[in-house]
Amino acid sequence: MMRPDPRRADRLRLLAGLALAGTLILPLVPLALWSVAQGWRFPHLLPQAWSGRAWAHALDPASGVLESLALTTLIALATTFIAALVGVPAGRALGLYRFRGKGIVTLLLLAPAVLPAIAVVFGLHGVFLRLGLTGTVAGVILAHLVPVLPYMTLVMAAVFARLDPELEAQARTLGATPFQTFRCVTLPAILPGLMTAGLFAFLVSWSQYLLTLAIGGGKVQTLPLLMFSFSSAGRNDITGAIALIYILPGLLVLILTARQVTGRGAALTQGLRP
Amino acid sequence: MLRSLSVLLLLSSAALADTADGEALKAMTWDQIEAEARGGTVNWFMWGGSDMINAYVSGYVADRLKAEYDITLNRVPITDAAEIVNLILSEKEAGITDAGSVDLIWINGENFRSMKQGGLAFCGHTDLLPNNALVDWDNPAIANDFGVPVDGCEVPWNTVQFAFAHDSAVVPAPPADMAALLDWIRANPGRFTYPAPPDFTGSAFLRHVFIHAAGGPDDLLGPFDPATFETVSARTWEILNEIEPFLWRGGQTYPTSITQLNELFANGEVDFSFNYDPAQFGLAVQAGSWPETTRSFGLASGTIGNTNYTLIPFNAPNKAAAMVVQNLLLSGEAQLEKAKTEVWGAAPAIEIARTSAEVQAGFAAIKGHPSVVPAAELAKAALPELQADWLIALEKGWAEKVGN
Repeated sequence: MMRPDPRRADRLRLLAGLALAGTLILPLVPLALWSVAQGWRFPHLLPQAWSGRAWAHALDPASGVLESLALTTLIALATTFIAALVGVPAGRALGLYRFRGKGIVTLLLLAPAVLPAIAVVFGLHGVFLRLGLTGTVAGVILAHLVPVLPYMTLVMAAVFARLDPELEAQARTLGATPFQTFRCVTLPAILPGLMTAGLFAFLVSWSQYLLTLAIGGGKVQTLPLLMFSFSSAGRNDITGAIALIYILPGLLVLILTARQVTGRGAALTQGLRP
Repeated sequence: MLRSLSVLLLLSSAALADTADGEALKAMTWDQIEAEARGGTVNWFMWGGSDMINAYVSGYVADRLKAEYDITLNRVPITDAAEIVNLILSEKEAGITDAGSVDLIWINGENFRSMKQGGLAFCGHTDLLPNNALVDWDNPAIANDFGVPVDGCEVPWNTVQFAFAHDSAVVPAPPADMAALLDWIRANPGRFTYPAPPDFTGSAFLRHVFIHAAGGPDDLLGPFDPATFETVSARTWEILNEIEPFLWRGGQTYPTSITQLNELFANGEVDFSFNYDPAQFGLAVQAGSWPETTRSFGLASGTIGNTNYTLIPFNAPNKAAAMVVQNLLLSGEAQLEKAKTEVWGAAPAIEIARTSAEVQAGFAAIKGHPSVVPAAELAKAALPELQADWLIALEKGWAEKVGN
């Protein structure tokens, strides 16, 4: 019997990791090249000439790209925050308690994530129009909550299902106020899960196209909308520049929450378990 | 930036300077309308795929509006005006008659017809604009938008005429008319294609073949005639089916949009592209998308011309400010600015002879882009646009008989 060489296993793991990273990063390379290309036609492997024009346009305040970046961030952050306000208590109820009709509630919560977006959009547009919410940032945030809330609530339900409610009871017996209990006991325990749910919420809102277009009526110009108007006009250079800007916040959020999401911060939860 | 964000946040409530009541405006003098327009915001929904056109609107036009009238121009980039027509239609169905989200649209053709027939356009205000005097409304190509009378419902912005583009380094001597082009296609298999109608530009190419099949436009002018359509369209489908095997990919598939055709042309997969607005060729070369050796041409048998317009929807909340925008766009100075090759290269919708001596000198000094066939040369063989009913019948017939 041959003993498996541990170094070989390591090397294989590294290779697999690199291959995975490659498949994720390679599609971005043409985007980066396009963003600095002045013409890139078949059969040339590299752009014929280089130019900072697409970036100059993307970073020019008059082009509205930076404004759109700020707006997209604002909408995604606000959506995430509101989703957490609603999703944490809802997740707690679903995760900790058994009640009549729980299955139906879970199903209803999942519905927006399961139904095709186009079906949701049509109905939602009519309702929002009558409420005077179309064409407004508030309306778009509200609309984004539809696909975002299921993720937030279900992730939080899973987190609370693993939480031992006795811990909170102990804190209360020791004289902690409900707020102190939440801040010092519950929050640290659910934080990694909350971060994961928040990341999902942020990215789901960040990548909305159809809902933003329909409810925003074109007036709420988030980055996906702006990018599409250039890509559909065949301006690959400007599309490339905006696409790279579009990736940044997602990467930033991922890096900031990576420790929690990958479970390295989970030691905290385990430490709390009796 | 923060300020415009807060503007967006406030958009749900009625705008400060609400001038939704168009009838009240029509009773005013121009000075009064200008006074009403001050401080207003205009949401202008327009195709946003060209950075140079965007820069002209967000730069030159917006700056002048801010400085001279304290009007904020909010350019809303869109991909297809038909979406906005639907948006306004659903607003109407929801009973929103004075707080619509659109103040101005860049529009023409079928979309204009839908707006006018659906009662979605604010009409009868064009005579109030002082610069309306620069427009030659006696020209049927301006007074009719794809055969539909304008009737004071929209204001002309640009005139365009269909042209073909080729790379002079690849095809030094392009075909001179439609018959020669069809021969060229047969002689050069796989080197030509056109976007499948109802793509706006593909549909225009189809009409050129249709007019060619009819032996000229004379029988096709005026309202839709089923008998003529029957005979001419039969010949058209015959021509198109006959050349189909010689098209790109053996005609198995067609590009779905003009963008795809432009990309095929840029990558040398086909030898021709075409556009309703030849200025786009110059923009593509300046953007580096197309080779410097790109040249363009019309057909001796004529190419179709049309006019594009700006229109104020019936429920626009800022009609006074939108009218000021329309008036500014029509001014000799603004038309001259966008006619400059390095700005846009768009042909004017006004009579240059009616503008000031300075503006006229400016127009005379414009040196055209070498890739853009001069409008005057195209105008030597111009075809009128067919009425919308012909268009619809043709697009439907193509899908059944050719694109099946």
